[in-house]
Amino acid sequence: MRFGVKYCGGCNPRYQRGEFLKMISRHFQNRVDFELAKEDTLYDGLLVLGGCSNCCPDYRHFQTKTPPILVWDQDHFNQVTSQIESRLAKAREK
Amino acid sequence: MALMTKEQYIESLRALKTQVYMFGEKVENWVDDPIIRPSINCMAMTYELAQQPEYEDLMTATSSLTGKKINRFAHLHQSTDDLRKKVKMQRLLGQKTASCFQRCVGMDAFNAVFSTTYEIDEKYGTHYHENFKKYAEYIQEKDFVVDGAMTDPKGDRGLAPHLQKDPDLFVRIVERREDGIVVCGAKAHQTGSINSHEHLIMPTISMTEADKDYAVSFAVPSDAEGVFMIYGRQSCDTRKLEKGTGIDVGNKQFGGQEALVVFDHVFVPNDRIFMCGEWDFSGMLVERFAGYHRQSYGGCKVGVGDVLIGAAAVAADYNGAAKASHIKDKLIEMTHLNETLYCCGIACSAEGYATKAGNYQIDLLLANVCKQNITRFPYEIVRLAEDIAGGLMVTMPSEADFTSDVKVPTKSEMTIGEYCRKYFKGNGDVPVENRQRIMRFIENLCLGAAAVGYRTESMHGAGSPQAQRIMIARQGNLAHKKELAKALAGIQE
Ligand SMILES: Cc1cc2nc3c(=O)[nH]c(=O)nc-3n(C[C@H](O)[C@H](O)[C@H](O)COP(=O)(O)OP(=O)(O)OC[C@H]3O[C@@H](n4cnc5c(N)ncnc54)[C@H](O)[C@@H]3O)c2cc1C
Ligand code: SF4
Repeated sequence: MRFGVKYCGGCNPRYQRGEFLKMISRHFQNRVDFELAKEDTLYDGLLVLGGCSNCCPDYRHFQTKTPPILVWDQDHFNQVTSQIESRLAKAREK
Repeated sequence: MALMTKEQYIESLRALKTQVYMFGEKVENWVDDPIIRPSINCMAMTYELAQQPEYEDLMTATSSLTGKKINRFAHLHQSTDDLRKKVKMQRLLGQKTASCFQRCVGMDAFNAVFSTTYEIDEKYGTHYHENFKKYAEYIQEKDFVVDGAMTDPKGDRGLAPHLQKDPDLFVRIVERREDGIVVCGAKAHQTGSINSHEHLIMPTISMTEADKDYAVSFAVPSDAEGVFMIYGRQSCDTRKLEKGTGIDVGNKQFGGQEALVVFDHVFVPNDRIFMCGEWDFSGMLVERFAGYHRQSYGGCKVGVGDVLIGAAAVAADYNGAAKASHIKDKLIEMTHLNETLYCCGIACSAEGYATKAGNYQIDLLLANVCKQNITRFPYEIVRLAEDIAGGLMVTMPSEADFTSDVKVPTKSEMTIGEYCRKYFKGNGDVPVENRQRIMRFIENLCLGAAAVGYRTESMHGAGSPQAQRIMIARQGNLAHKKELAKALAGIQE
């Protein structure tokens, strides 16, 4: 699976967004590729890393087959991993 | 080249033949001058962050003119979302530099001139808006810095431009030619002017017909013939020339910059003129620029405030006082004041509206309230920071003393450095040098070079406090408030 990643602009992040992405990438090593989202690419999923609950980055112009996953707190880790796990499972079923 | 790198920006300054004077002399290599360089580093940060994925959502935008990705500082705001992102970008840059990063005035001038020229053309059938659109495209494509130049020296504040003894105390047209105009005068307090590629000039006050030669807006390159700048010195500036590692400078890497920009018979070609005698629009341009700039402070000063709050908390740790309840409470108060300023910046953005030209303008009343608070809260934040830091931030010996191996003829036979390190130790685990660094950093922001940007610019930048009170009175709709009271009190007149 290939995920695009979009960061917010980071004016007042309440957690380390880069570290969060590293943790997620490590968790899905060899199963999901995460890369900075590009406009001309169709992704299996989009991970939007907001720094706070405002989660304000503009991501509407990116193309994704599944709804974007929005993060604004490091406590979202388990939620995010289980969301991506279930998408992986669904993809395997197909 | 829609986005320059930090290195390309610095090289692009070297390519200019900007005339700079400081301490009574011409500065040939001003890019590498130790007094000026921190302000260039600061501006360079606006380029550096635009290249980083973690910040580009705030630092860049899609041009409404070309559809290309551009630096947000050259953007014409297309929505209230853009206005909010502008404030967030400014907060971010304040956090990364703890200084005035200087690029906001140009962005604010850009948006104000864009919408005002549209309305001048609508009334007079002139072509200023087309001129400006071409100019804006050029700036966006080159990713240039523009100095937004409004404030004239103004001479006798009680007299209109045309009544001044010296007619050059406001920028004015001295000659009208087929191919353009010739201007004379100066702009004072120009933030980042030396570090800019271009200057966008606007009138400084609302004018009458008698002042029509002063109702002029145009753009010239920094190195246009007849343009030169005299650097404005800052408190503690020559510390940057001292030997050592720069601890005493406080913030060695970054700083702000202001200068007097003089225009001595400068020729401006027709396609770079955006107002030329339409005195009845000078008020609109001033009001719009000031409105944007009053919004700006709800971002940039908040970012610097974030760093000062952090520095005060570090000082409390190093002093061993962090657990005291009044210290915690003071840090809360600083945060409350700082976030209140941010609320104002966000609020006037969220309540913005589209101008006739299509770009977005902030809510004027809320932007003026924002700036009025800015004239006060940073002073209170500084007061609390000084309270928490303790007197050492202004009484500590120099870095040279802390490293001195000069022996003092005493029984202990210790060096000056050893005495300093012994008596200025705070919390047991913290190296003395760290304590030195944080004290000097706080000094820099509260009353050193960075106080120019954090304090006095908060007071006067974008207009002195009274200017906002006049706008608040005008926008406050007192008549409506009286009607509300009368209706509820059962008064019928
Ligand atoms: C650090 C800094 C950066 C700045 N950067 C820029 C910039 O990049 N671009 C730019 O264009 N400008 C810039 N400014 C200028 C700023 O907008 C002016 O400082 C501001 O408008 C006040 O003008 P002044 O400094 O001439 O003060 P003055 O106008 O002399 O004001 C001093 C006092 O006199 C009062 N006063 C003045 N005139 C009158 C009057 N007619 N009637 C009654 N009271 C009066 C004022 O309210 C104030 O209390 C900057 C200023 C500072 C301090
Ligand atoms: S999501 Fe939060 S931290 Fe990130 S840019 Fe938006 S407001 Fe700032």
